[in-house]
Amino acid sequence: MSEEEDVILETGESTVMSWIRERELSLLERLTANILKAGPMPKHVAFIMDGNRRFAEKTHVERQEGHSQGFEKLAETLRWCLNLGIHEVTVYAFSIENFKRSKEEVDGLMELARQKFNRLLTEQENLEKHGVCIRVLGDLTLLPTDLQQLIAKSVVATKAHNKCFLNVCFAYTSRHEIANAVKEMAWGVEQGLIKSSDVSEVLLSECLYSSNSPNPDLLIRTSGEVRLSDFLLWQTSYSCLVFQSVLWPEYSFWNLCEAVLQYQLSYRSLQKARDLHREDQALQQMEADRSCVAELLQHRGNGKPMDAQSRQKELLNYTASREERVRCFLNALQHKRDTFFSDLSSQAVVA
Amino acid sequence: MALLYEMVWRFLHALLYVQRTLVAWFRVHIWRWKRAVVGLLLPLALGFHNPKKTGPIGKRTSRRIRFGAEGRTLEKLPLHVGLLITEEEIHFTDIANLVVWCMAVGISYVSVYDNQGVFRRNNSRLMEEILKQQQELLGMDSSKYSVEFMKNGTDKQEHQVLSCQSMVKVLSPDDGRLSIVQAAQQLCRDVEQREKTSKDINVTVLDSLLRESKNIPDPDLVLKFGPVESTLGFLPWHIRLTEIISMPSHVDVSYDDLFGALQRYAVCEQRLGK
Repeated sequence: MSEEEDVILETGESTVMSWIRERELSLLERLTANILKAGPMPKHVAFIMDGNRRFAEKTHVERQEGHSQGFEKLAETLRWCLNLGIHEVTVYAFSIENFKRSKEEVDGLMELARQKFNRLLTEQENLEKHGVCIRVLGDLTLLPTDLQQLIAKSVVATKAHNKCFLNVCFAYTSRHEIANAVKEMAWGVEQGLIKSSDVSEVLLSECLYSSNSPNPDLLIRTSGEVRLSDFLLWQTSYSCLVFQSVLWPEYSFWNLCEAVLQYQLSYRSLQKARDLHREDQALQQMEADRSCVAELLQHRGNGKPMDAQSRQKELLNYTASREERVRCFLNALQHKRDTFFSDLSSQAVVA
Repeated sequence: MALLYEMVWRFLHALLYVQRTLVAWFRVHIWRWKRAVVGLLLPLALGFHNPKKTGPIGKRTSRRIRFGAEGRTLEKLPLHVGLLITEEEIHFTDIANLVVWCMAVGISYVSVYDNQGVFRRNNSRLMEEILKQQQELLGMDSSKYSVEFMKNGTDKQEHQVLSCQSMVKVLSPDDGRLSIVQAAQQLCRDVEQREKTSKDINVTVLDSLLRESKNIPDPDLVLKFGPVESTLGFLPWHIRLTEIISMPSHVDVSYDDLFGALQRYAVCEQRLGK
């Protein structure tokens, strides 16, 4: 029961975006949104969209229908987020663990994904108008090749958009993401771009699939489960976690407002904790740089002790050169990733 | 118009603050009232001639508790419980109580965490409190468990797997992201020295490296105390399947609060992706 007609014009193109509902908020909803926006608002929200299958059982429909309804709810939720000024959303669509499900269900989910990404590719104009950038995070090589190509095309097509961002975690687990980031850093070391002493918390964060996004401010999990299930474990260390018992396909605007309110209540404590952590990080980096410089000087050493001023100069030089190395490495990494997507995308055209 | 919205917002948050304070106040006072009532009625019920039967009534238990038996009534007991304190002011006695109750109920590993490293810095004080509370709450001698520190893997601890042996670990944010970074540095050094290639690195390799220094299982349950809705840097790698149950506060926490949380844990269903 959609609230607006999906008008298919003569050319066969739809005026309605499938991934973001075009419905406007009601008066009461707008009022509530405006009141909430008077306080601190999350800029990036992550969703674990749990409860599709339980919803299907509850309403006596097929599981596949439950997942389909789940997608519709996603489109609605994205609209609410935009209305609330939340411009970045990350969703947990498919975990690597979900491959354990029955072949029927997995194939059904892959088919749903194919449908939705195909549809997305027909909505280029709308996506450009709204400035929607779609990113897909995960180990895409685990997916069927045609789906990989579809995804690559969508990602490449929306790469330049920058008004709002949707990150879809597909074939993803957080541990894989972290291990992959370590692997990339090791690759950098192999290529001679960085040294093992350059490895730091900041660098690891830059090597994650989610490196182009800030950490989520708010993580919402529906259906009453109170665990993270291998989702954004690194990135949500200082995020507000809200567990709601509503099933995902039944999610409402008011549930979202409730979560945002919870975020506002924890805001100050979280800011404090984050600032403390940032300070610790900076201190650790400085210590690491100092010990590297000390080692270097020892190697170079001609027995003469250096005065404080020259030591300081050496430290600054070292830090600058480390930062330059890291910058080059991250450029190379980004290039590697872009090439992966553009290659896949052009394969799809040829095929 | 914006000013009006802001006023409403402030009013809303003021209301919520008042509500929270009232709830917290009631929680403490209802508990105290309960204890007072039981303190009066229990001797009456047992008859004045046998006051010794009241057994080990600890500060936070208003009835005689057979911890081991109660633990066995639960469908499943977590192997490792993490106590995550988000409150700024820490009451060591209450934490010690929680640790002792967990161990008495049959939980093998208990870790204690706060994001400012207070527990790490006051390790000995916590240990003293735990020993003290153990005497008071359980009346047994301290040979039933050993207390260990979470250090950076240079200590090799002896593990005695006796039936009542429990381990208490103190954790801080350094055991979280920093440990992962240190493991990453180790792997990169191996690659630098050509002992490994980048292709050798995967989840299993990283996991086993992280387990080397912390030879304890992943937490099954994290009890989060305090109003802050976040893990505040608690062991990010290890909590991928951990149930996170929030409790309002660790101050004046009772055994019933803890047991209630354990009951909630016992009925949760982990599908593991399936």
